[in-house]
Amino acid sequence: MKNLLKVTSLSLAALLLASCAGTSEADSEIGTVDANEQHPEFADMSHDELVEAAEKEGEVVVYAFTSRIATVAEEFGAAYPQIDIVAHDISSSEQIERLRSEHDAGAETADVAYVSDAPVVWNELLSDGVLQRYVPERVEDELDDQYKDPLLTNRLSTKVLMYNEEANPDGAPVENLWELTEDKWASKVVMVDPTQRGDYLDLLTEMVLRADEMAASYEEHFGEPIELDEGNENAGYQYIADLYANDVILLSSTDDVNEAVGATGQEDAPVGFTSYSDRRDNAEEGWALQVADEAAPGPGIIFPAMLGITAEAENQAAARLLIDFMMGDDSENGGPAYEPFYVAGDYPTRNDIVDPEDALPREEFPAWEITPEDSAGLRDDVNDFILTVE
Amino acid sequence: MHTLTRRIKNPVTLLGLVVLILLGILVAGPLASLVASTIPADGDFTDSAWRDALASPMSENLFWTPLGNSLLVAVATAVLSTALGAFLAWVVVLSNAPFRKLIGLLATIPFALPSFAIALAWSSVFRNDRVGGSPGILAGMGLDVPDWLAWGAVPVTLTLVAHYFSLSFIIIASALAGLGGDLLSAAQLTGASKLRVATSIALPTVAPALLSGFLLAFAEGVSNFAAPALLGLPVRFQTLSTRLYGSISTGDLERGYVLAILLVVVAAVILYLGNRTTGGRSFAVVTGKASRRQTIPLGKAKGVVTALAGLLIFVTTVLPLVVLTLTTFSRRSNRFDDGFTLHYWFGESDPSISHGMAGVFRNDQLIQATGTTIGYGIAVAIGAVLLGLLAAYVIRRSKSKVVNGTISFLSYVPFLIPGIAMGAAFIALFGSASSPLPNLYGTFWILVLAGITASIPFAFQTSKSALGQVSHELEEAAVLAGASTRRRIGSILAPLSARGITGGAMLVFVTTVRDLSLVVLLVTPAIPLLAVETFRYAEEGFTQHANAITLIIALISVIVTILARKLQGQQQPWAQ
Repeated sequence: MKNLLKVTSLSLAALLLASCAGTSEADSEIGTVDANEQHPEFADMSHDELVEAAEKEGEVVVYAFTSRIATVAEEFGAAYPQIDIVAHDISSSEQIERLRSEHDAGAETADVAYVSDAPVVWNELLSDGVLQRYVPERVEDELDDQYKDPLLTNRLSTKVLMYNEEANPDGAPVENLWELTEDKWASKVVMVDPTQRGDYLDLLTEMVLRADEMAASYEEHFGEPIELDEGNENAGYQYIADLYANDVILLSSTDDVNEAVGATGQEDAPVGFTSYSDRRDNAEEGWALQVADEAAPGPGIIFPAMLGITAEAENQAAARLLIDFMMGDDSENGGPAYEPFYVAGDYPTRNDIVDPEDALPREEFPAWEITPEDSAGLRDDVNDFILTVE
Repeated sequence: MHTLTRRIKNPVTLLGLVVLILLGILVAGPLASLVASTIPADGDFTDSAWRDALASPMSENLFWTPLGNSLLVAVATAVLSTALGAFLAWVVVLSNAPFRKLIGLLATIPFALPSFAIALAWSSVFRNDRVGGSPGILAGMGLDVPDWLAWGAVPVTLTLVAHYFSLSFIIIASALAGLGGDLLSAAQLTGASKLRVATSIALPTVAPALLSGFLLAFAEGVSNFAAPALLGLPVRFQTLSTRLYGSISTGDLERGYVLAILLVVVAAVILYLGNRTTGGRSFAVVTGKASRRQTIPLGKAKGVVTALAGLLIFVTTVLPLVVLTLTTFSRRSNRFDDGFTLHYWFGESDPSISHGMAGVFRNDQLIQATGTTIGYGIAVAIGAVLLGLLAAYVIRRSKSKVVNGTISFLSYVPFLIPGIAMGAAFIALFGSASSPLPNLYGTFWILVLAGITASIPFAFQTSKSALGQVSHELEEAAVLAGASTRRRIGSILAPLSARGITGGAMLVFVTTVRDLSLVVLLVTPAIPLLAVETFRYAEEGFTQHANAITLIIALISVIVTILARKLQGQQQPWAQ
């Protein structure tokens, strides 16, 4: 009888917990606003009609977190000479702030945002309706669900450990992330200040989320279980503290990191966290960037690069046309429109576009794919923690 | 007599009210909303940004260390700027060194340069292997540049000194020029030693000017944003300005506001105490009776002194501009061995260079930014000088101590507010949904209002001294002859003070267009300004573009400064 009671109450508790979890999950569902629901006139437009409407508007303004937008603008301008495209290269963190402030102020803003930093975008911009979802019908069937909801994702980008392959012809000089906390790498690890750039904060947040993996790698490397210093809750936090204590060098942009790590002619090149795809510029910029993909427990993170329409977009048609354009044409590499993104180290989300050559295929690349919902809850804590160990 | 007072009084009271309202909105308003937006609604400070900044595990890195760094930079900048400025002023005004006129002209240029110009040039020269990648010019030549020389407090301070010694020079030179030559020769004739003359006569006379120069350099040093942002990060050298910017630009507004308030308080206390000791002479231009000056023969030291002065001018004025110019032509950042190109000035977009960014003269965004910047500068210059004139006129005519005192105080307060904190305050007042005033964020007008506010102290002082040159009797005569207030202003005050005021407006224009810290938080992509574009390019590693735009700003500023100084000839008495 007693046992029965116990079992019943336990299962009741479990049920209760499950139902709680169920509701909280339902609550946390991202309230995306669909751009075409706001402007139904576009829902049934053919492509030609859309072009016509966009040409009538004559302009489209885009904020993008990548400098590659300059090349996109060239291509778009060539394809639609009647439409002026105004492209601003603004980091995701700053974009989020600007989009929100401009929205609040009802000020002039962009039509299209091309933005990463999914945890903040999902949490703050989507639920407030600052950014709206638009998925061109043409590509809908080629995308997995997570790449069209809550926001359209046109590729996956990375922040992973890279090294200089000219200085290290025998392969990556780092096999385990914990090596970076040792004397050998003191003042020789570079990254962008994570308190200034969301992508980097997401990287460190992911290490905290994967504290168990970090702890296992510690033991693998040092041969003994990790001991946490006071105030460091888990192996992820401990790693951040140790990395900072080992004089990790903070720079202001990924291009600076690329230059630092990749520049040829260095004997004692640093390693650093940057975008895998920046390898594409090796020849032109005189870099020798290569990914340290085998660094345990993982070389870094992989995250979505998303496209959305702003609530106040003045050029609704042109905004749709640009997003459609940036999803590439129907050839297997996305054609000239997608070319700036069709580079080794970025991963197309369209299933009909094949992964670019010269990079590890997505299945073989062990970087962590972030879960924006989980990161969102932890980022601020990690940010504050960094402030204490800087 | 009573009817007379009444006739004067009415329009003046009205004007006084208008001025008070305007100053209230522009000066008191932003500060009040800055403070208001950091106070938790429930009055519970335990989870507030105040606690984060002052009493949490983060405080050390968020506030205390940056505070120490800000003060260190400010004090060192002030001491060195004053010493160098005084030395140059002495050479130019009192010595018989050759080329002293040329030195005097060149010494006024660094102040007209944007405050990041020399920081950018510094980084081109001294950048070392701490940040890996392509080295600066010195490291590229195989020299070992230590970290302390490449990054952090030393380069930040030195680049600021290179700008602001120029300001100390202008102020001290004016004071020295006002020093009666006969006074000095009288002392010498009565047998006082050179040392005695210097310490007993010259020094006391110029002491207020020295202190003014010191305080101005301190104010610029404590609030400067560009230099620590460009030269500090690799060694984690943070000042209050960079922390404040970091917090606000990543969306942590409250924390940013708290840091802004703390920065205002620290700066204000020191500047206020300092200014009290100058007996309120503050930074008003010291004018003196021009009597024939006697130059001090330098004798054997002539060569050394001239060489030192020349070297100082060379490294602060000529060299940075040369370095910046050369780097804009180099194919690869800071490398002169890899070929030269005009691409960064005139090139079409080329995907293989700078991610396809066209040269600055082909970049629509920059052309728009140039237009906005000039429009912004002109609007601020006109607005600030009009407001300054109104305020000065009310003070001149009004007999109410309360009105005059309040106007003087409010016109002085912006001087105590670091630019970046002012920017934060304007966001709090004109950019938040909870504010009672119209939301101006993302418009041209928020920039103009902030610019006017920041320029009020200078515009007010200039207007006061320009009006001060028109004697009261002239105006009284007009009153007796029955001229209206408007007539008196239009026919007597305006024409007679026009030169001084136009010159003042032009200097407001210069300080406005070359400034970064005030606008860095307020600019949005729809209203680009050159100074912010430069900063952005520098941050993104587009060295050549950043340097090219800096040169464009420098060119505009220097030309206008020289014109303004010509108009205000009396402010440069040492050149006569």
